Amino acid sequence: MLNISKEMENTRLTFSLEGKLDSVTSNDLESEIMNSLEGVEELVVDCEKLEYVSSAGLRVLLAALKLMNKQGTMKVTNVCDEIMSIFEMTGFSEILTIENNAKTQAKETKEEE
Amino acid sequence: MPIKSIKEMSAHERRVHSLSARMFSTIVKSCIILGLVILIIGLGLYGLVLSQQYIDSAFDLSCSAASATGYGADSVSLSKRVMEKYRSLSEEQIQSIGSSRYKALFAEFEVDHDYEALSDMLYSFLEHNDVYDVYLAMYDEEASRLVYIVDPDPSFPYYPGEWESVNRKGMEKFLNWDGEGLLYDIEKTDIYGWICTTGTPIRDESGNICAFLLVDLTVNDVLRGMGPYALQVSIAIVIITIIMAGLLTRKMNKTVVKPINAIADAAVEYVNDKRNGVNDVDRFQTLNIRTGDEIENLSLVMADMERDLTEIESNLTEVTAKNEKISTELSLAAKIQAEFIPHVFPPFPERTEFSLFATMTPAKEVGGDFYDFFMIDDDHLCMLVADVSGKGIPGALFMMVSKIIIQSCAMLGQTAAEILAKTNQAICSNNEAQMFLTVWVGILDLCTGKLTAANAGHEYPMIKAPDGDYEMLKDRHGFVIGGLDESVYTEYELQLDPGSRIFVYTDGLPEATDEEGRMFGLNRILDVLNEDPGADPEKVISNMNEAVDGFVKNAEQFDDLTMLSFEYKGCTQNG
Repeated sequence: MLNISKEMENTRLTFSLEGKLDSVTSNDLESEIMNSLEGVEELVVDCEKLEYVSSAGLRVLLAALKLMNKQGTMKVTNVCDEIMSIFEMTGFSEILTIENNAKTQAKETKEEE
Repeated sequence: MPIKSIKEMSAHERRVHSLSARMFSTIVKSCIILGLVILIIGLGLYGLVLSQQYIDSAFDLSCSAASATGYGADSVSLSKRVMEKYRSLSEEQIQSIGSSRYKALFAEFEVDHDYEALSDMLYSFLEHNDVYDVYLAMYDEEASRLVYIVDPDPSFPYYPGEWESVNRKGMEKFLNWDGEGLLYDIEKTDIYGWICTTGTPIRDESGNICAFLLVDLTVNDVLRGMGPYALQVSIAIVIITIIMAGLLTRKMNKTVVKPINAIADAAVEYVNDKRNGVNDVDRFQTLNIRTGDEIENLSLVMADMERDLTEIESNLTEVTAKNEKISTELSLAAKIQAEFIPHVFPPFPERTEFSLFATMTPAKEVGGDFYDFFMIDDDHLCMLVADVSGKGIPGALFMMVSKIIIQSCAMLGQTAAEILAKTNQAICSNNEAQMFLTVWVGILDLCTGKLTAANAGHEYPMIKAPDGDYEMLKDRHGFVIGGLDESVYTEYELQLDPGSRIFVYTDGLPEATDEEGRMFGLNRILDVLNEDPGADPEKVISNMNEAVDGFVKNAEQFDDLTMLSFEYKGCTQNG
């Protein structure tokens, strides 16, 4: 199951994902993203509630990144440790702009202390 | 109570569900009610007319009898004499009526010539007319009494001078009659029940009433006349009811019941046909119901439904055939794919330097995972495990292409990193679908045990030194193959000693999921490997399969699962 919610703010489009991004749900996300990228200059994929990404899900992120490289920027936010390790293993951490917001950062800082 | 289906109904229940029977009983009931109402109204009207007629004829009778009394007898004189005698009596004598003494007072009149003649005459009137009594009498106005003069009724005779009390109102009606219309009065008496008395006054020369010729009718007379009428009407009603009900029911049977039964039978036959695989018989289209009403419409709708269902069915057959073809092709594709990767173990029986075992279990018929191994030359073994981003036919196609490119690059003597880079370029040049794959590839020099490996976004390999545990090797990762065409891959070297083992796999293993959504995970993989560290490659994989099956239980296999297990035994030629 994957819940996709979309929020448009001027030219900034945010997708919030909740659940699992796998071969079953990745097609939904792909058509959702591909159909709404026109005029978007900043694409944000919020992974705060995302539990899992499979290779099919990575493919959708890669396709979105390639499109956005032509018309603006794309970033992935609030990536949890499990998904971060998937990104690292597949090399996606090298090519994606990953940004964790203040809340997550604060939490991390606290844990470090 | 839930409504039963037609199949659950007994034969009796079905018979009770009869429109004709209901129609018949409804018609019979309504005809009988209608008939009864008509009968009651008719009887009432008839009784009214009949009694009027009776009174009419009784009045006529009294008129004719009154005029007849003028001939052959002197009714006026007789009346006057009887009344004179009566009026001469004291009240005490009058009250002694019924006694022989009273009767003796009037004895002279019974032998009177006029009395006998009148008695005979009135008796013959009574005999020849359907009335209760015909008699001659006079009122005693003061005491409201009727004094009999001549009453020939043989069953209940009154003798001259005998009297009875009467209703004053009725008496006055007779005494004050103006000669217009009918003179009659109806009253209820204790002795005779409802009695209608009609009469004609008899006057003397000076016009004074000296007697009345009275005729009595009882209600029984009227009812007697109505009996046959009621019987006839009742018989007519019964006959009409039966004929009407019969005709209407027959008509109903023909225009409603039979067509509905025909449609019902057609429906049963239709289903039987379908069950028995008969497809070329039209059941509803051949009904030919021409009732010109909703039932005809129903049959037409059913015929349309049959046509449409036949069409849908043939479409469905086509689609099923198509699906079957696809499914056949798919299983053929799966077979080709399975045979396309090395699947005979041991693969190189003459080689003593190593032992190798691998499995591939697709989640769908055809998968996107694969493993591969082959000898580049006598001394170099290339082995790899790869995972394509996608499953099913697209994944399988991409996998086939990738496998060929990788093997071609390897056979050209390129290093692990070069193989990945070249493959990446080849795939990126024509990759509109944005598919990619992760690959771990290693080339082992069988003589020296030197392994050169590179990783394009693939899972970490598990490596075991001869005297150690399996450990996860966090090797350097390049980007997935097919993602970006400028990706660069770096390779690393590992020295394998005899007894070293390698276990590589695809993400289907750590991500195998149980019914509650928990994943198998890397730690469980290491645990299973280290529980039996000395296992040969085939045993390693069977251990792992057992552990995964025990973990996943009844959950559906979600991802392809591919494992490759390798053991280096060392070079015997140089050793």
